[in-house]
Amino acid sequence: MTKRCGRSAAGIAVVVFMASPLAAQNGQPQEARTARVISDTGRLKGPRQPIFFRHDVHAGQSRIPCMYCHASVAVSSEPGIPAVQTCFGCHQLITGSTDEHKAEIKKVQQAWIGKQPPQWIRVHALPGFVRFPHMRHIKALGTQACATCHGQVERMPQVYQVSTLKMGWCVNCHVRSGVSRDCTLCHY
Amino acid sequence: MAEAPAPPSRVTYDFVTRAVARTLGNPGKGYYALLGGAVGLLAIGIVCLLLLLRYGLGLAGYSHPVYWAVYITCFVFWVGIAHSGTLISAILFLFRSGWRTAVYRTAEAMTVFAVMTAGLFPLIHIGRQWYLYWLIPYPNERGLWPNFKSPLIWDEFAIGTYFTVSSVFLIMGLIPDIAAVRDVATGWRKKLYAITAVGWRGTNEQWRHYTRGYLYLAALATPLVLSVHSVVSWDFAMAIVPGWHATIFAPYFVAGAIYSGVAMVITLLVPIRKLFRLEELITGHHFENLAKLCLLTGMIVAYAYCVEYFTAWFGGNPNERAAFWYRAFGPFWWASWTMIICNAFLPQLLWFKTIRTNILALFVISIFVNIGMWFERFVIIVVSLAGEPFTTWTNATYNATWADWGIMAGSFGWFFMWFLLFVKNFPAVSISEVKEVLPPPRRASRAVHA
Amino acid sequence: MGEPMERRRFLKVLGVTGGGAALLSGCGIGPEPTEKLIPYLIPPEDQVPGTPTYYATTCRECPAGCGLHAKVREGRVVKLEGNPESPINHGRLCPRGQAGLQGLYNPDRVAGPLERTGDGQWKPIAWDDAIGRVAANVKGARGKGIVFVTGHESGAFGELVDEWMRQVGGRHVIYEPFAFEALREGNRLAFGTSAVPWYDFANARYLVSFGADFLDTWVSPVGYQNGFARAHGFQAGRDASMAKFVFVGPRLSLTGMNADEWIAAAPGTEGLLALAMASVIVRERLAPVPSDAARLASLLSRHAPAQVASAVGIEPSVIARLAREFAASKGGLAVAGGIAAQYPNGAAIVAAANILNYVAGTVGKTVKFGPNDSLGGAGAGSFQQMADLVSDMEAGKVAVLLVHGANPAHSLPGAFSQAIAKVGFKVGFSPYLDETAAAADLILPDLHPLEQWNDARPRAGLFALLQPVMQPVFPDARHTGDVLLRASGRDQTFQEYLQGRWRELHRRHGGGKSFEQFWSEALQHGGVYGEAPLQPVRLASGVAQLTATPPALAGGPGETVLTVFPSIGLYDGRGANKPWLQELPDPVSKITWHAWVEVHPATAARWGVTNGDFLLLKSPYGAVKAPVWITPGVRPDVLAAATGQGHTAYGRYAKDRSGNAFELLSSAPNGYGGRTFSVAVSVVKTGEHRRLATAEGDPRELGAHNVEVLPLGRARQLKSGERAFEEHEAPAYAERALEDWAAAQHEKASLGNYAGEHPRWGLAIDLATCTGCSACVTACYAENNIATVGEELVVRRRVMSWMRVERYYTGGEHGEPVGAVVTPMLCQQCGNAPCEPVCPVFAAYHTADGLNGQVYNRCVGTRYCSNNCPYKVRYFNWYNFAEQGGEWESWPAPLDMLLNPDVTVREKGVMEKCTFCVQRIRGAQNRARLEDRTVRDGEIVPACAQACPSEAIVFGDLHDRRSRVSELAQDPRGYHVLAGLNTKPAITYLAKVVHDG
Repeated sequence: MTKRCGRSAAGIAVVVFMASPLAAQNGQPQEARTARVISDTGRLKGPRQPIFFRHDVHAGQSRIPCMYCHASVAVSSEPGIPAVQTCFGCHQLITGSTDEHKAEIKKVQQAWIGKQPPQWIRVHALPGFVRFPHMRHIKALGTQACATCHGQVERMPQVYQVSTLKMGWCVNCHVRSGVSRDCTLCHY
Repeated sequence: MAEAPAPPSRVTYDFVTRAVARTLGNPGKGYYALLGGAVGLLAIGIVCLLLLLRYGLGLAGYSHPVYWAVYITCFVFWVGIAHSGTLISAILFLFRSGWRTAVYRTAEAMTVFAVMTAGLFPLIHIGRQWYLYWLIPYPNERGLWPNFKSPLIWDEFAIGTYFTVSSVFLIMGLIPDIAAVRDVATGWRKKLYAITAVGWRGTNEQWRHYTRGYLYLAALATPLVLSVHSVVSWDFAMAIVPGWHATIFAPYFVAGAIYSGVAMVITLLVPIRKLFRLEELITGHHFENLAKLCLLTGMIVAYAYCVEYFTAWFGGNPNERAAFWYRAFGPFWWASWTMIICNAFLPQLLWFKTIRTNILALFVISIFVNIGMWFERFVIIVVSLAGEPFTTWTNATYNATWADWGIMAGSFGWFFMWFLLFVKNFPAVSISEVKEVLPPPRRASRAVHA
Repeated sequence: MGEPMERRRFLKVLGVTGGGAALLSGCGIGPEPTEKLIPYLIPPEDQVPGTPTYYATTCRECPAGCGLHAKVREGRVVKLEGNPESPINHGRLCPRGQAGLQGLYNPDRVAGPLERTGDGQWKPIAWDDAIGRVAANVKGARGKGIVFVTGHESGAFGELVDEWMRQVGGRHVIYEPFAFEALREGNRLAFGTSAVPWYDFANARYLVSFGADFLDTWVSPVGYQNGFARAHGFQAGRDASMAKFVFVGPRLSLTGMNADEWIAAAPGTEGLLALAMASVIVRERLAPVPSDAARLASLLSRHAPAQVASAVGIEPSVIARLAREFAASKGGLAVAGGIAAQYPNGAAIVAAANILNYVAGTVGKTVKFGPNDSLGGAGAGSFQQMADLVSDMEAGKVAVLLVHGANPAHSLPGAFSQAIAKVGFKVGFSPYLDETAAAADLILPDLHPLEQWNDARPRAGLFALLQPVMQPVFPDARHTGDVLLRASGRDQTFQEYLQGRWRELHRRHGGGKSFEQFWSEALQHGGVYGEAPLQPVRLASGVAQLTATPPALAGGPGETVLTVFPSIGLYDGRGANKPWLQELPDPVSKITWHAWVEVHPATAARWGVTNGDFLLLKSPYGAVKAPVWITPGVRPDVLAAATGQGHTAYGRYAKDRSGNAFELLSSAPNGYGGRTFSVAVSVVKTGEHRRLATAEGDPRELGAHNVEVLPLGRARQLKSGERAFEEHEAPAYAERALEDWAAAQHEKASLGNYAGEHPRWGLAIDLATCTGCSACVTACYAENNIATVGEELVVRRRVMSWMRVERYYTGGEHGEPVGAVVTPMLCQQCGNAPCEPVCPVFAAYHTADGLNGQVYNRCVGTRYCSNNCPYKVRYFNWYNFAEQGGEWESWPAPLDMLLNPDVTVREKGVMEKCTFCVQRIRGAQNRARLEDRTVRDGEIVPACAQACPSEAIVFGDLHDRRSRVSELAQDPRGYHVLAGLNTKPAITYLAKVVHDG
């Protein structure tokens, strides 16, 4: 088992090296998408995360596609959250421009070295008795459709919940798009 | 029903008012003892209910497949009790049978409180009591509605309507009497009655409107006597369980309901009459009429039993036959035979006038009928489920537990608590209507002319 | 409601996102308490969150060595299924195999190495110190007696133990309580080989079992049941089908229940019957008798039917008939063992059965020497070895005792437990604190087989691999292989050792592939599956001296023969701490959670005992109390009791549950070095009584025709399109109207659509092959997070099992032979369901694809649906079985890690029931949608159908005319249970077929 993990580590590292320069060149600063400087993080909406990971920098400014980190969203019910390895793949090269960024990125590197993955606070949680197959929705709405439920994440310094994620909200959309409302679609 | 003969001459308008007002006087030890007992029972019930909520229905005696048991039995029992009240107050009113006047108030109060009690049981018996409101149709963003096909939803409406109408009926009937006692009452009670009498002064105009309104309300309440318990019976008749699935159920249940109700009226009146010394107002004559009513409905119920067994045999459906064989001779034979003896055989004694007019005998018989009617529901519900013949693999036994008995006791406590509070604070006998059947006084006395 | 706890726990172990087994939260809709998402440090390859990964490995719950597919979600095993590639079990799995999961997540596992302190307490010890102590003691004990006891090991681990023992001058004792010595010795007597052949049930035309419970526990139950179903099942048009099956034995076991004819021969006379049949065949020249059979002449002439019939207790004519049928079938198979081969003359009985096979010419056809079972051969352990060990221990000749994968303190209660006290240093490698481990000085918990590397050779030619399918649940447990390698001072992991051995396999079976390729392919397929060539066998020289005369079993007057048999669920007791197996109704007695003793009605009447009365059984070796279960399925002069219960340690589910049947047995080996499992007991009524914790309702059908039976002749005549069972929902004039109405109902109920398709899911269950083994029941528990409720609630009839196997006895009332029929009863998914209209909140409703949906989070628990369900297949959550630390908790940590993340864990107060594994249906539909196709027939397999060793259950779309299930729904044998109620069930049962007469 461990052996196989080792191999996989090598494999992914390669991917990362190929990917990171690409990510870098995508990340040419653009006025439209330049993430603003945050002076007071206390004002930000959404739960405070152990590492001040800025979606607006990654997804917005650097235009890293959502599925680069949330890789399984199109094939599985779970989108998956990136392994520390994935973060480190880029951040062993990219150490950050400002001191604030440097500080946060340091945490990532420590997480990798100290083998202590950060404990993210879950933002989007469904009750246990609801099944939400992400892939079905990506399949129907396309890979750009994340915003439909998660909002303009690429503009969020700190992710917060934009949709109620309550049943009525689900049902309305299912009605509007004329898809099944059968209970056992989501409840079993 | 025959018109009431004029009561003894010393029963005058004045006497009636005093007699009834006396019932509202300071309660004695006996009263407090009874009330205490009722509250005690209620406390037991509440404790059991709390445990039930915490740990789940497993505390009750349910087994697979006996998924309905004592709680639903009590539900049907109490709904049944309710019925005679409306019968006596509304239907007999429409039939202008004078003898009802002395007893209908008690019966009516009983109705309201019985429905209040019955209403608790659906809440108690469901698995996730905190979601009971899902049975109520209310607009919600999920676009979810209750299933109007389900007899349980019909129930909800039937009981709701019944409670509303019967309580309105009771309160309306009370108005003139409250006014009457208002005029003799003192202290906080005077204030209470002043409000609840809604400014009744007994003017001719008020009386005209009042009687007319009362008549309409009676007419409105009358069909409920038949409809409510029919709907309740459909909880069972609509199911495919052998022993439930029968067209006779509606009339069978209604008759049974009135039967048990009348029995309960007797059970309640006897002690009240003693306690409040109302012998002159509630006479043996009243009891005899009640007894006759009891006998009549009892006969109908007995007939229904026969029909049930006959159709089971004559219909030739093996499942039906098996079910009723199990009912009579299965492990629950004792329940079935208790029910048949108490409901079908004992009341035959009422053919004899000596027994009809013997208050004590009546009291005893009425209690047996109450027991019998409780067992009738137990037999229909538990025994039919336990012995369901479709697959012999699931035939089960059933043993009720303390959680069942505790909550049942609590329901009796709840009922009697309300009833006792009522009779102490409101006229248990209709002053105005009793007076209606009295010979008018020779000269207008200073007595309140309510 | 405990759910985040559960989730966080397994996150700690594995670190992963995604929905853990979701609990129906009491607070209804709305976000649950804050959850943490802990990412992987390094994502494991080939695992996608939210999507299961399957790893091939091998089952170690019994010596059969079935192939497994372990379903892994988010890095934890959530279900065990059979590996379709394995020639042993063909992708099927028995309850015990599936319950291996509860061994892995068992709450009573030993987390790390423990040593016993002076005051008898356990205290943790570091691995290095522990291994140091072992090495030191072994070193010091050289020459003073070092013994390593293991269970049946056919692979690398066994050889490692051998090597190490050779190195340190110790000996390796293999101990299985049921070790099939009689089988080996019987084969030696008859053929001069102690090998255990492979019995080809699938190609048998006529089966005679002399007590061999090949559907219960005998040798390789799953594989044999699969074969049996092929041979004994009914297939229209295939004459070879419906091989007749005759069971000979004192007790109607699960195997016996499936026989067409039960011959309750007097205990010990089975051999006589076999020889008598052989003699008829030879005398009447019914088969081309092999030349060397001549030497049998005298033996057989001594056993003509007339001579043995009275001893056996049947008519000579019956023996002759059986012999003729057997020979005429041109493909008979006689097997002997189990309950019939446990007498002192067991070996002779097996030999007699061999002779029968031999003279009928079936050896080499259905009895295949060559692909021999690993249970055979010289290497296999025997009770003799154990007995010798015990006497050595008694004599103080054992200084160091190491025990792995065996629990002799339970199966040899008296002798071993006393002897072990005389051993200087005792090491237990058990992951659980069982009786033997409890007596040890040092416990070095092994990894569970699902966490470790190993291999097994269940049958000659087959090499099965075990691989760790998840990281250890208890990280501080350690593979005993690694420990031994360390202790023997070898700088190597067991994985490397194993691969070392597989390199030589690679040389022989590599086929030019590189070793890495060979290895990873083996891992993928679960092993290497070769064919071993057949070896012809001839009669042994001494065969003529065989004496099959029965021993005097019933001792003095007033004593009765008690036969002790392995429990189907708990086997020799190793299953006793797994709630699934404890709560699985015994396929025969339907009793759960406690032991029982089987008594014939006549005997019970004579003794004046009823079900649940306690009897005190006294044998010369011990005494045990057990409640009576009265059954027609046992000889009047015989009592029967199962092993498995009566643990004094081992864990919360096993400890102090009724008596241990082993205590009644002699600890002395019998003539052939095996153990005698029948003993004369005196019976005393204790006056105690208990309500049996049984799932049984009425033992007979009482005219309710829910299990239909067809005589073979009639079944053969049926043309396709015919219906053997006319179903009238209504008088003819109303039929049409009713059908239209029901159709309309179904259409109306069909909301929405799934990618435009409107399937109607249906099931077909073939009662001709269903044996009642109850594998489907455990599969359902595992797949659908069904709570185990415990003994008390079983007594109160609150079992939650969605799938119940009903067993009804037939006949036996007027002298005719007793038989039994079984039927799995589960939600019929009625097209016109009584449960739906009565639900006030649409929690029970009709789905677009024709299921009776059950929306747990909508259910308020009025239970009306269950009252209105004629099949009574809806089950109510009386308590909160998922409450952490609650009185009724069903999944104490870490058991909760086996909860299926795709299925809601139901809260108290809601109704639950079978939904044809709707989660699997939706999963398949999602996959199909991603691939822009519709669901293929056979793509969806419900858990029950997947597990069924008989392949009796078929699932599919009834609207698809070409699907297998709609084909079977049209089968002439097809019928619907309670069709008369016009419920239009989606389950078609195919009537059981029995031989005429």
